[in-house]
Amino acid sequence: MSLRLTRRPLSVPAAMEALEGPGLGGVVLFAGRVRPDATRRGRVVALEYEAHRTLARVVLAELERKVHRRYGAERVVLWHRLGSVPVGQVSVVVGVATVHRTEAFAAARFLIDQLKARAPIWKTERVQPARRRQSRPPSPGGRGAG
Amino acid sequence: MPGRVTVRLFATARVAVGASQLRIRVDPDGVTAKSLIDSLGKHYPKLAPALRTSRFVLNERYLTRLTNKVRPGDEFAVHPPYGGG
Repeated sequence: MSLRLTRRPLSVPAAMEALEGPGLGGVVLFAGRVRPDATRRGRVVALEYEAHRTLARVVLAELERKVHRRYGAERVVLWHRLGSVPVGQVSVVVGVATVHRTEAFAAARFLIDQLKARAPIWKTERVQPARRRQSRPPSPGGRGAG
Repeated sequence: MPGRVTVRLFATARVAVGASQLRIRVDPDGVTAKSLIDSLGKHYPKLAPALRTSRFVLNERYLTRLTNKVRPGDEFAVHPPYGGG
């Protein structure tokens, strides 16, 4: 099992490596990236993540044990960024390796849904305030061509 | 002599108070969690809405009963709804 709550960038290839194991034919890896969503305050440029770290680790470890029991997951990756994560960067990686694909898909879905609902992690949007539109000065000749 | 409880605040609760941690004086025998939460809401009115939707953690365990005692030296955390991922 691999749990991380880190301020450092998350590497998807490194997550794939952590999911290797003999006979594990089904590997599902989910990576969540920060989107440049438009909000009322402006466009999102980054998400600021914070966590109750000790408790978050306990919750993530419980989730890992559950997917092992329910889905036979032999390898699990649960990585989450903390601090400021700019648009386009990966903020969360959830990965599962099982013998067959059906269990891997189900386990990965379960993990990301449960992580979002149960892990004491929060995000705050950092936005680029929308620029006010400047009204054009009226042209000397008034409206129309010429 | 009264002692203090450390209150940790996260996300909207932290923003409402303007601090991530408070040290609250309580009686040596402690107070109920409900009493502590009510007191926080009174002293920090901006925190009251977050308290209504939060879960609470006492010494790294989720609080199951508002009648549980919070004693000097304890750590009490306010967890607004989660939003990881």
